[in-house]
Amino acid sequence: MTSSTLGGDPAFALAGIHAWAMATAAVIAASCALVGTLLVVRRMSLIGDAISHAVLPGIAVAVLAGGRPGGPLVFLGAVAAAMLTVWLTQGLRAAGGLAEDAGAGVVFTTLFAIGVVLVGLAPPGTHLDAACVLYGELAFLPFDTISIAGQPVPRAFVAGATVLAGLVAAAVATWKLQVFTAFDPAGARMAGIPVAGVTTGLLAATAVATVASFDAVGAVLVVAMLVAPAAAAELLTRRLHRMVVVAMALGAVAACVGYLAAWRLHTSAAGMIAVVLGLEYAAAAVLAPDDGLVARLIGRVRLAWRVAREDRLATVWRAEESGNRAAARPHTPHEAMVVRWLEFTGHLLRDGSSWRLSPAGRREAENVVRSHRLWEAWLGRHADLPLDHLHPPAEWVEHHLGAEMRERLEADMDERAADPHGREIPPEA
Amino acid sequence: MTAAAGIIAHNTVVVALGVAAVGFAAGVVGSLCVLRKRALAGDAAAHATLVGVACAFLATGRRDLATLLAGALVAACAGLGMLVLVRRFTRTRDDAATALVIGVSFGLGITLVSGLPAWGYANSAGLEQFLLGHTAALTARDAWLLAAVATVAVAAVAAILKEATLVAFDAAFAAATGWPVSGIDYAIVGLVALMVVAGLPAVGAVLVTALVVIPPVAARFWTDRVGTMVVLSGLIGLAAAAVGVAVSAARPGLATGPLVVIAAAAAFAVSFLCAPHRGWIARRAEAARGLTVRRGDSDGEASR
Repeated sequence: MTSSTLGGDPAFALAGIHAWAMATAAVIAASCALVGTLLVVRRMSLIGDAISHAVLPGIAVAVLAGGRPGGPLVFLGAVAAAMLTVWLTQGLRAAGGLAEDAGAGVVFTTLFAIGVVLVGLAPPGTHLDAACVLYGELAFLPFDTISIAGQPVPRAFVAGATVLAGLVAAAVATWKLQVFTAFDPAGARMAGIPVAGVTTGLLAATAVATVASFDAVGAVLVVAMLVAPAAAAELLTRRLHRMVVVAMALGAVAACVGYLAAWRLHTSAAGMIAVVLGLEYAAAAVLAPDDGLVARLIGRVRLAWRVAREDRLATVWRAEESGNRAAARPHTPHEAMVVRWLEFTGHLLRDGSSWRLSPAGRREAENVVRSHRLWEAWLGRHADLPLDHLHPPAEWVEHHLGAEMRERLEADMDERAADPHGREIPPEA
Repeated sequence: MTAAAGIIAHNTVVVALGVAAVGFAAGVVGSLCVLRKRALAGDAAAHATLVGVACAFLATGRRDLATLLAGALVAACAGLGMLVLVRRFTRTRDDAATALVIGVSFGLGITLVSGLPAWGYANSAGLEQFLLGHTAALTARDAWLLAAVATVAVAAVAAILKEATLVAFDAAFAAATGWPVSGIDYAIVGLVALMVVAGLPAVGAVLVTALVVIPPVAARFWTDRVGTMVVLSGLIGLAAAAVGVAVSAARPGLATGPLVVIAAAAAFAVSFLCAPHRGWIARRAEAARGLTVRRGDSDGEASR
C-alpha cells in the first residue's frame, strides 16, 4: 500500500523512500545542530546529554496515555521530562549540596531507567520498544505517511521540518538575547535580560529537538547530533552565526552520508550517522584552516624558520658591527642550513670563509636588531630590570615587533640612538 | 526435572552473588570518583565499551564473557585516550569533548553490533545484551570472573585510599608535598573504567555510569567519614545489584540494568530524605528550629 502511494515503479519507490529517509534525517540533524551550537558555546553539552536521556520517561508516559509518536502529547511529555531533569538537578544542588555533574548523573540515569521499564510495559503495537529507544527506526519512518496537498509525505519528515522551522524562527527572534546570555551572562543580567528564561528556553528547545529525533535515531545517539557538528563548526569558524550555519550543514550532510553508508553496509543508520559526525569532527580537528592540527603545525614550523632566519641575519649584522667577521660563521648544522638558504635567497653573500649581508639582508637585519635594542631600551626605562635581564625578553620580542610598534617605542624615548648597553640603535630600514 | 530446576536456581544465586560483588566494588570505586568531583568520568568509557565488545567478537569469533570484557576494557581505555587527545590537541572544551566521545563511540558500537548479522556473523546474537544489561544469560563461571574483578578493584581501592582521599580533598597540598597527583587521578579513572566494564553484563553500557555515581552520592548523606562512606556506598551498590538481578529473574522480559539503577535511585531517595543531619527532612527541621530561635531572639528584643 505504501509503495503504491509513493510511486508505481518499485525502483522509483525505493529511491523515493531513501530520499524521504535522508530528508527526515537531515532536518532532524539540522535542528539538533542548531540547538547544540548554543549548548556547546555555553558549555552545557553534558546537560544536553542528560536531557536527551531523560526525555524517555516523558515520551513513554505520553505514549502509554495514548499519544502517537511525533504527536503533540509526546512533545509535551518530553519537554516536561526535560524540565523535571533540570529542576531535580538544581533542586539536589540547592537542597542536598550535590555537585552539578553528580546530581545530573543521578537524575538522568534514573529517569532513563524508569523510561526503559515503562517502554517494557508498553503494549505491543505502540511503536515503542527497546530497540527504538537505542537505535531509532529511520528506515521505517517513510512508510508512515500523511497526505499534504494530495501527496503522501512521511509523518516524521513533517514533524521534523516543523520543528526545524520553529527552532530557526525562535533562534532568529531571540538571537541577540542568546548571544548576550552565552558570552556575558553577568552583563546580560545587568542589562535586564531574563537570563534564566533564556536558558530554560534553550533547554526546552533541546528537549523538542531530541523528541523530533527520537523516532529516527533513538535517545542515546542524539547527543552526537547535538554536540559533534557544533564542536566541528567551532573549529572551523569563530563567528557564532556562521558556526550555527556550518554546524547545521555538517549535521545534514552527515545524516545523508551516514544513511547511505548504513544502507550499503546493512547496518544501523543512526549509528552510522554518529560515526560520520565523528569523522567530520576529526577532519575539522586536523584540517581546519586556523585551528586544525595541520594549520597549527605549519604555523609553528614557519614561525620557527622565520626566527632562525632573523636570528642568523642579526648575528651577521652584529659580527659586522663589532668587526669580528668570524662570528658570522654558523656553528651547528641547523645554522649552516639556514645560512645556505639565506645565501640562496640573496640575503647573505659569501666572503671567503665567512659571510656578509647583501643590501636586502642588511635591511631585514637592521630592523631585527633595531627591534631588539629598542625593546631593551624601553624595558630598561620602564620595567626597572637589571641590565643582564634585558636581553632574554628582547630576544623573543624582536621577531614580533612591526614597524609601527618600533616607531611608537622610539617616540616614547627622549634620547635615542643607544640601547642600555651603549650600542647604537640602527635607524628604520 | 527438579535437579535441572535446582541447577538453574543455583546458577541464578551464583550470578546474583557475582553481580552483587560488582555492585559493591563499583560503589567503593565510585566513592573516590565522586569525592574527586569526576562523577561523569566513567560515562565516556562506558559508552565506548560496546565497540570493544563487537571488536573482540570480530577478532576472536568467541562470545565468552572474558574475551568480550577484555575487548570492552581496551575500548574503554581507548575512549578515555580519545578524550585526552581531544582536550590536548584541539580547543574543544571538556564538556563538549566528553559528549562527543560518548555519542560517537556509542554510534560506532551500535553500527558494529547492528551490522554483524548482515556481515555473516550469524552467531553474534546476544551482543546487544550489553546495551541495557541482561543477567539471565550469565553462567556461574562468568559470575566468578566478575567476582574476581570486583575483588581486585576493592583491593586496589584499599591500597590507594589514603592517597586518593588526600588528592580528593586537597589536590594542591598533595602536589606540594610530592604526591603524584596525576598518577593517582589516572589510577582512579582506570579503576572506574574497570568497574564500568565489570558492570557491563548486568547494567549495560548506557546506564552503567549510574553504578559508580548513585551509591556514593547516596552514601555521602549519611556520613562525613571517608572510610564509612566507601563501605556504605559499596553496600548500597551491592543491595541495588542484588535487587535488580532478583527482580529481573522474576520478570524475564525486563532488562536488568534499569532495575538495578531504579533500586539504587530508591536508596538515594531514602538517603536524600531521611539521613540524619544531611537529609532533607533533618535539614528542614534544623532550619525550622533555627528560625524559631531567631524569631524568639527578635521577639525578646522587641519586648525589651
